[in-house]
Amino acid sequence: MNIFSKLSWFIKAEWKRYLIGISDLLFLAILHMFPPLIIGMVVDELNKHTLTWKLLISQVFLIIILAFIDYGMRFIWRYALFGGAAKLEQVLRRRLFQHYLKMDEKFFQKYRVGDLMAHATNDINAVQQVVGSGVLSLVDAIVTGLTTIIAMIVVVNPKLTLLTLIPMPFLALTAFLLGEWMHRAYDHYQASFSRLDDKTQESMSGIKVIKALGQEEQDYQDFANLTQKSYRSARKIFFIDPLFDLSSQLFIGLTYVLTIFIGGGMVASGSLSVGKLVSYFSYILNLTWPMFAIGQIFNIMERGDASYDRINFLMHEKSSIIESLHDNQVIPSGNLNYHVQNFKYPDDKKLALKNIDFDLKKGEMLGIVGPVGSGKSSIIKLLLRTFDNYDGTISYSGRNIKEYSLDSYLRAIGYVPQDNFLFTNTVAENIKFARFEAPLSEVKKAAKLADIDQDIEAFPNGYQTKVGQRGVSLSGGQQQRIAIARALITNPDILILDDALSAVDALTEKNILNNLKKEREGKTTIILAQRLSSVMRANEIIVLKDGQINERGTHESLLKQKGWYYDTWNKQESDRMGGLTDG
Amino acid sequence: MDSQEESVWTKHFTLKEQFHIIGRLNHYLLKYPWHLVISVVLGIASSITYIEMMTVIQNLLDHHLSQGQTATKILLNFTLSYLTFVIIRVITQYISAFVYYNGMERAKQDLRKTLYHKIMKLGMTFFDRVPSGSIVSRLVNDTESLDDFWYLFYAIISGIVSIITSLITLWLKNSTLTIYLMCFIPIILIIARIYFYVSTKNYRQMRQRLSEINVKISESVEGINIIQQFRQEKRIAKEFNKTNNDYYQARKNVIKMNALLLAPIINLLNGLANALILSYFGIISFQNTIEVGYVFLFVNLASNFFNPFVNIMDVLSTFQDGIVSGSRIFRIMDSNIKNPVQHPKTGFKITRGKVEFRHVTFAYNDNDPVLKDISFVVEPGQSLALVGHTGSGKSSIINVLMRFYEFGSGQVLIDDQDIRDYPIEEIRKNIGLVLQDSFIFYGDIKFNIRMFNDKISDSQVKEAAEIVHADQFIEQLPQKYNEKVIEGGKQFSTGEKQLLAFARTIVTNPKILVLDEATANIDTQTEEQIQNSLAAMKNGRTTIAIAHRLSTIVDANQILVLDNGQIIEAGNHKSLIKKDGYYARMFKLQHSNT
Repeated sequence: MNIFSKLSWFIKAEWKRYLIGISDLLFLAILHMFPPLIIGMVVDELNKHTLTWKLLISQVFLIIILAFIDYGMRFIWRYALFGGAAKLEQVLRRRLFQHYLKMDEKFFQKYRVGDLMAHATNDINAVQQVVGSGVLSLVDAIVTGLTTIIAMIVVVNPKLTLLTLIPMPFLALTAFLLGEWMHRAYDHYQASFSRLDDKTQESMSGIKVIKALGQEEQDYQDFANLTQKSYRSARKIFFIDPLFDLSSQLFIGLTYVLTIFIGGGMVASGSLSVGKLVSYFSYILNLTWPMFAIGQIFNIMERGDASYDRINFLMHEKSSIIESLHDNQVIPSGNLNYHVQNFKYPDDKKLALKNIDFDLKKGEMLGIVGPVGSGKSSIIKLLLRTFDNYDGTISYSGRNIKEYSLDSYLRAIGYVPQDNFLFTNTVAENIKFARFEAPLSEVKKAAKLADIDQDIEAFPNGYQTKVGQRGVSLSGGQQQRIAIARALITNPDILILDDALSAVDALTEKNILNNLKKEREGKTTIILAQRLSSVMRANEIIVLKDGQINERGTHESLLKQKGWYYDTWNKQESDRMGGLTDG
Repeated sequence: MDSQEESVWTKHFTLKEQFHIIGRLNHYLLKYPWHLVISVVLGIASSITYIEMMTVIQNLLDHHLSQGQTATKILLNFTLSYLTFVIIRVITQYISAFVYYNGMERAKQDLRKTLYHKIMKLGMTFFDRVPSGSIVSRLVNDTESLDDFWYLFYAIISGIVSIITSLITLWLKNSTLTIYLMCFIPIILIIARIYFYVSTKNYRQMRQRLSEINVKISESVEGINIIQQFRQEKRIAKEFNKTNNDYYQARKNVIKMNALLLAPIINLLNGLANALILSYFGIISFQNTIEVGYVFLFVNLASNFFNPFVNIMDVLSTFQDGIVSGSRIFRIMDSNIKNPVQHPKTGFKITRGKVEFRHVTFAYNDNDPVLKDISFVVEPGQSLALVGHTGSGKSSIINVLMRFYEFGSGQVLIDDQDIRDYPIEEIRKNIGLVLQDSFIFYGDIKFNIRMFNDKISDSQVKEAAEIVHADQFIEQLPQKYNEKVIEGGKQFSTGEKQLLAFARTIVTNPKILVLDEATANIDTQTEEQIQNSLAAMKNGRTTIAIAHRLSTIVDANQILVLDNGQIIEAGNHKSLIKKDGYYARMFKLQHSNT
């Protein structure tokens, strides 16, 4: 019952729906007492040969009226209760999604995509069942069950009722056990199914490797083994599923058996009329569903409760980024002053950044280089306000970046992340992501700057080609360039390229850097790179090592320092044939 | 592919096409004839048993209870025979369902396996044309939806059995009333027809909206930093709300439809049938005596007649989905993009590793040649570097040599024998390919090196890892060679993944090595390690490489400069620089960059 109180906010908000639905079910329960009664009565009259036209017409008429009322009422409660479930699903999913959008990086490291998806689908599904079939089962079990039993006692015979209903609790128990069992079997099957799905995905994307090794047949065998496993776990479901039918038929059947013997004896001894016995048989059938419902309620509530707790737990997670509320919402522009004494990732003992200081005047270019794991991306994460828990100040346009609202501050920045994620959408929609109202001409302009316009025009549907996970497959270089165009569409005051040129060849890199220089006159650019040629033209280059600035200066001065930069430059220089044979 | 998929959804199948697809699908089900026979026979037995159960009560009512005194012994007889029938009924019904489900599941897995096998045998062109996502969807999701499709047949078969046995029994008891009751059939059929139409539409809409919701959630989570950095939360939330609301509407439509046209309406008809039964017997009773058990029997068998319709209609919406899935499955099943054909001659073995192309032409599409008159010879143990811009034909040379595609005119020779004379296994064993993007499989480290080749021993696996210097990082893993590898090998760095792929190629000790060098910049240390591994691999092997690294190019015995499918220059680094042609110009341009 706990879950019903947890969801009382929803039921209260939708009280009309539930009032209608529940009173409708109540009314129906009472209504359903009558048809068996009428049939039994007619049977008795037939048996005694006392049936009159008047009685027959009135009773038949009553049955017809009841059938139509029944139809209308059934429609109403279904629509009210199941509609409520749909509504709760909608509300919960909207809240959860909006919550996801507000969360910080820490949250998304803690919960994987798969988990978050599962909460938004399976858990919500389990919760919405509580206010749909759960409420229905509860009302049915209590109201329909009770009224039917009362009818049996009052209309037919209390002793008969008491003795013949013995098998019924077992039906409820079996329904409960089977529900649990089925749930587990289904989980098991789901697991084998996703393994099959993963395997297929892997083999289809790795088809070239498999073919090159000549192992098509063996890979097929592997797949066949997995389907065999999947078949075996499916068999458990098929074993259980028909048991639901079996148990209801069996326990109802046993109730009938008892009724034949005991009720038959009563009729024989004259303490019960034949018609009453006929009515009684119908009442037994009316009890099937309420008994099943008793078993089901426990399943539904148990699962719904666990799922709702999981959802609530997630909803109570808070973002560590606190937005400033006093801000005039004007997009700032100016110099950037970065002074961070130290920064640790949450739950990490090691310092990620130590004494990082740089001042970047409006219009300048900063290069950040260094080995993998030296802290390049961490610098940017603080700048993008992904983490706020550092010692030091970062100010932009003379004001601490924490004092801006995210909406005004972040809009000043165009960011090209390392992983160049694209959404399943058209190329045009991906590029104008940050300025959705931008006309195609602007989109094309950004694409040209990112040196991707020609590639896009060569796609099957040009700018309307679908890309992303479910669209055409693009090379890493193409993805990176589209991501660059996406950052350029707002013409941001600060552009950050986080290793965003790694997959493009040297010639394209050169084109893009030239375009940026030309078009972004007076605007600030920060480039993080493995390849030093990406940053050589920067006003200042900082070389990181273990989270600290190890070398700094211009390209020329760094070469003279004969340190890491110099070594790496020489190594890369000796291997620059890449431009001749682009990827 | 998206547009292609949509076109299948909206496509209207003619009756003939539908029958054709059903026939082909059910061909898989019919491979389990005994499952079907047992299921149907037991289904009939179960239906008849139910009628016997009702008849027991009817007899009891008519011949004993309504006549007055009934001895306990007689009652006990009736009770026991009813109990027997109940037990027979539940057992036959259970087995009937279990056996059918089993056959259905087997048929599904068979179809899946057949389709997978078929796909594995298709030529590379197929994989170029169809995105892997949609192949997976055919293999996994479309076949999965056949469960529902085949369940519909079960519901129809068992429903019809139950309806017919009820009708026959009623007919034998009272044909006039049965004829009256049969008037309900056309009404139900009309309702079923309407329901079929609207449920197909409504359920599809609901499912499509739901899958849109799922795509939106997963993509928004994966791309969250983009959304947040570009401050697009409001727009994304708005878009999501719209889809979420659309789904809510679609779901409400389904609820409304089911409340109007499913169980409640069949219940209504059942109620009307009861009224009909009562009036009929009531009217008759004014002239003749009526055996009251008949009323009981008719009322109960009438509901046995109506109930199956609810079950059938409930799953009707899966019919069209089954047809759509079937048509998509068979479209792949019918594709005939073949692998290149070998004409193996016995005893042909690759021993030295000499590779020769003689005037080879090749086109992916017939009219658009990507290789024109390519000729070169690589002596055993020597190396060839292929350079040129994207689309110049470098990859095509590799594709032809690997026998991924059939070439046009000319000849490809290995050890001076036509490549087509070798069994494909011999080619696969002796030509090792390293791809630009290293692909890592789910399993463990050992599996990723050995793959499915059980002949490779653990010590060979280790040896291969040592040759490519992958042993250093493997030995540091907690489980070493038994370390679990998750999908895509996400726990490993790009460099480590590359080393693993190297080990996989080298473990069979191929005579010829084909390399598509990676361009992605990894950090300089890893880069060095990879260079060393490459050098170790090339040692003593004929090597053909699409070269991005200067070291590969400078050290190559031979360089082919390709442009637009033709060899425009050939020689080694020194001679090409001396020649002062295209290659020399590119080389200088690169180095004037600073």
